[in-house]
Amino acid sequence: MKISLTWLNELLSEPLELTVEELAKRLTMAGLEVEGIHEPIAKVVGLDDVVLEVNVTPNRPDALSHWGVARDLAALTGIGLKPPTLPAGIDTATDREGAGRVVRVVRVVIEAKDRCQRYAARLIEGVKVAPSPDWLTRRLQACGVRPINNLVDVTNYVLMELGQPLHAFDYDRLSEGRVVVRLAREGETLKTLDGREQVLSQDDLVIADAQRAQALAGVMGGETSEVNPGTTRVLLEAAAFSPPSVRRTAKRHGFHTEASHRFERGVDAAEGLVRALDRAAALIAELGGGKVKGGRWDAVATPLVPRSIALRFDRVGALLGCDVPPAETQRILTALGFTLTEPTAVGAKVTVPSYRVDIEGEADLVEEVARIRGYAAIPSELPPSRVPSAQLSSRERAEARMRQVLVGAGFDEAINYSFNDPRELEALGSRTLVRLRNPLTAESSAMRTHLSVGLLQCLARNLRHGASAVRLFEVGRVYRPEPAAANAKERITPVAQEQLRLGGLLHGSRFERVWTHASPGPGAKDASLDFYDAKGAVETVLEALGVAGVQFSPAEEAGYHPRATARLVAEDGAVLGQVGALDPRWAKRLELPAGVFLFELDAEALFALSARAQAATAYRPLPKYPAVTRDLAVVVPLEQPQEAVRQVILEVGQPLVGAAQLFDVYVGKPLPEGKKNLAFALEYRSPERTLTDEEVTRAHQEIVSQVNARLGAELR
Amino acid sequence: MIQERLEALREAARQEIAGAKDLVAAEELRIKYLGKKGALSEILKVMGKLPPNERRAVGEGANALKAELETLLSGIAERFEAAKLERELKGAQLDVTLPGRRRPQGHVHPVTQTLEAVTRIFHRLGFETAEGPEIERDYYNFEALNFPADHPARDMQDTFFIEGESLQLGRPEPVLLRTHTSPVQIRAMLERKPPLQIIAPGRVYRWDFDITHTPMFHQVEGLMVDRGVTMAHLKGILDAFARAFFGSSTRTRFRPSFFPFTEPSAEMDIGCILCGQASAAGCRVCKGTGWLEILGSGMVHPNVFRAVGYDDPTLGDVTGFAFGMGVERLAMLSYGLDDIRMLFENDIRFLAQF
Repeated sequence: MKISLTWLNELLSEPLELTVEELAKRLTMAGLEVEGIHEPIAKVVGLDDVVLEVNVTPNRPDALSHWGVARDLAALTGIGLKPPTLPAGIDTATDREGAGRVVRVVRVVIEAKDRCQRYAARLIEGVKVAPSPDWLTRRLQACGVRPINNLVDVTNYVLMELGQPLHAFDYDRLSEGRVVVRLAREGETLKTLDGREQVLSQDDLVIADAQRAQALAGVMGGETSEVNPGTTRVLLEAAAFSPPSVRRTAKRHGFHTEASHRFERGVDAAEGLVRALDRAAALIAELGGGKVKGGRWDAVATPLVPRSIALRFDRVGALLGCDVPPAETQRILTALGFTLTEPTAVGAKVTVPSYRVDIEGEADLVEEVARIRGYAAIPSELPPSRVPSAQLSSRERAEARMRQVLVGAGFDEAINYSFNDPRELEALGSRTLVRLRNPLTAESSAMRTHLSVGLLQCLARNLRHGASAVRLFEVGRVYRPEPAAANAKERITPVAQEQLRLGGLLHGSRFERVWTHASPGPGAKDASLDFYDAKGAVETVLEALGVAGVQFSPAEEAGYHPRATARLVAEDGAVLGQVGALDPRWAKRLELPAGVFLFELDAEALFALSARAQAATAYRPLPKYPAVTRDLAVVVPLEQPQEAVRQVILEVGQPLVGAAQLFDVYVGKPLPEGKKNLAFALEYRSPERTLTDEEVTRAHQEIVSQVNARLGAELR
Repeated sequence: MIQERLEALREAARQEIAGAKDLVAAEELRIKYLGKKGALSEILKVMGKLPPNERRAVGEGANALKAELETLLSGIAERFEAAKLERELKGAQLDVTLPGRRRPQGHVHPVTQTLEAVTRIFHRLGFETAEGPEIERDYYNFEALNFPADHPARDMQDTFFIEGESLQLGRPEPVLLRTHTSPVQIRAMLERKPPLQIIAPGRVYRWDFDITHTPMFHQVEGLMVDRGVTMAHLKGILDAFARAFFGSSTRTRFRPSFFPFTEPSAEMDIGCILCGQASAAGCRVCKGTGWLEILGSGMVHPNVFRAVGYDDPTLGDVTGFAFGMGVERLAMLSYGLDDIRMLFENDIRFLAQF
């Protein structure tokens, strides 16, 4: 909100002895944050006013006016307040009867009593619509309000001065001079001042005359009863509408007006409302050359009872952590307009001024004392902790370890948005999705079920920037709707299933062009990252987490190449995820090149396995006797998985063969078509003694012939 | 006779050893004279035929000769080795400027690095990590945190809503993407009794997209509840955090503010990290104010304690504080980044800078 310094000064009993910067700091440090200071544009034409841009938090509607800011400033500085004077001659009595008085020509009825606490009105007769005087238009311009005419400008002026929104109706356009505060009827329409035809909801509160809606209560007036050049009689409204009602109506019709902004937060129904009405009526009469009709219509739907709070003086210090003498508490609260009654040594009954709609309990009073004293007066000290010293959970440790290992393996960490294009997710076989009702774009309207969609977008973006190799991973959640029945009971269960995943992507050249590698030509065995780089990354993560015994078996997964993908299965049979080549059909649709590899693992399952493995970690004695290594080469059909051959070797090699490591795979001449040569290094070892050459040779020959017999393999 | 042959051998060997040109030649000489089939063995073959008294003298003589030749040979070998080492040490210079053999190195995302730095500090201050769902019920995200329905405080956080509703309250209730990590406070307090000291890092979502806003970002929430927790403790913890994160000379200030779930509420500013509070009018980071807004905080609102049953008198008179900060903002300040959207484009040239 814009606050004119000149105007502010007018509301104080003596001038502020502060520079603008000091004033801004005082207000900021008391909770009225000054976000900007607009210095005068030109001294000459009377535009010599300094304007403060004040950010008023939603709990402080009382500060949404010059008077409200002056009130806080008075409490802060001890300077007195100087209320705007009511012009003489206005009749402030509220009455119901009498000749020539407002009650004869106006009738206000609040039908929707829970939506409107109070509705007061005055009638000003014999006015002439004209432009406002300079002093008024300048004030409005300083506050960023466009001047219109003397009648409307007065309502805006009083709004900026006292914070109470007002509305001026052309009385002669109101059927039967009636004002009915009611809910809109089904199908009712209203053309608002911005020229839009609004179809009203039965939840909209309207100000109607005897026949139809004339204004959206607290939001915007209607065109029919708008003040116009021919207006001579003005019905001036000052009301207190229900904040949620105004908010819903404003949102529903796409409005955010000076009036709705204040009504949504709450106005001073008990006192400020009539003060503003009287001040505006008098000003309209003065500027428009008219006369205020005697009396004020005042309809009160619910009683205006001041709120009172029991305050314990020691609670102030107990919450703030410092000594605040009761006398200081009393002084500050009194300066802010609170009334303390029934004071004792330990506490008092505090009556809240009607404009402070935010003050509901003792803690609110403590904040008032604290902000006027200044938060700097609160000491800074570390609390004694009663919680045993915090440690990283095994889950957090595993997650950090996972990141570390992947970074060490050359992967950059990506963080992608959690929403994707639902069509992409559906193409990956996700039938049920968590969808956003109000997404930013249709392409980001469903919560992701896979990390791969985001990672592939990253790849495309990086390729456009000329990247030759991309290795990325992301640790993040995927989301699925919770089956409806599952979540009905527990109070604190989540509403959807969220699972933490580790996703990875690799593409491009394996090595940079460096002098230590002979640069492999395109298509050479080592040139590009492939399935085994992806699998290697996954195996590295598994090893780092201590997860052993994971089986890789051929699998078909949506989004992956049906012949180049492995599913990971843990020892207990749980599926951990998959690693493989991107489905070439998907690659084509995304206009991505060949040679993209992905993995996606259930991180929570990995962390659980890791925790179990960590708990079971125990020392095994190192071997006492040396090992002897012999190579074994077998020729098997191309289709034969290496792991099957290795398992046979380990089985027949018992108990002397401790390890069999594949070190070469060869296809080509002189092997026959459809065959491959697998070469293993076998490690022979005995726990009891050093094996002799002869023993090893004998055992090796036995294994060779058995492997041959079991696999029908040809030996080389 | 045999003695003379040994003497002759000694002479010949001394001369040859002295004339050896290199290590290989020295080794050949060792084999020639001292090897299994060497000259000395050859001479000694006849030893067995000698009478015992003579045999002894010859034996001693032969051993002495063997020892002498071994000393000579090892001496010369050492000299050759030393010379070889000498040559090597003065030889060709290795090109140490050629690049080393490196393994590709990846990078942890700057947001993760910042998040980890923040959580490490709070772990040291005694806070444990807690988690909660990102798809959240209106009740946890707003209502239990004292945001009434249709209250303008909800405008501070433009919300993404999820299709469908939750019926857990026995009436239709909106489901949404959490707009802050504060619902984790509620979940933690419903699950446990005080004392409680937690931080909750995680993703949050708001309907916004421009140079300073992305629809998803990260927050770290903190909560401490116990008997006798005060606002002075809140300041103590957050001052300690600011000094640990931004440096030991960091200045802080606390300003009154408004959050529905805290009362009193405070915002913490730190002295500008760029202009050092010189309040240079042109400072692009603090816009000349000398201060940077870092986080929101406050004492837990009584209505929040009521919502989780912490107003139960058997728990004693508990008080608490809560705070929350945006991780991207901290990362952007730390790294001097001015467009938040860069953080989620995952350009590897960008990621490689951290």
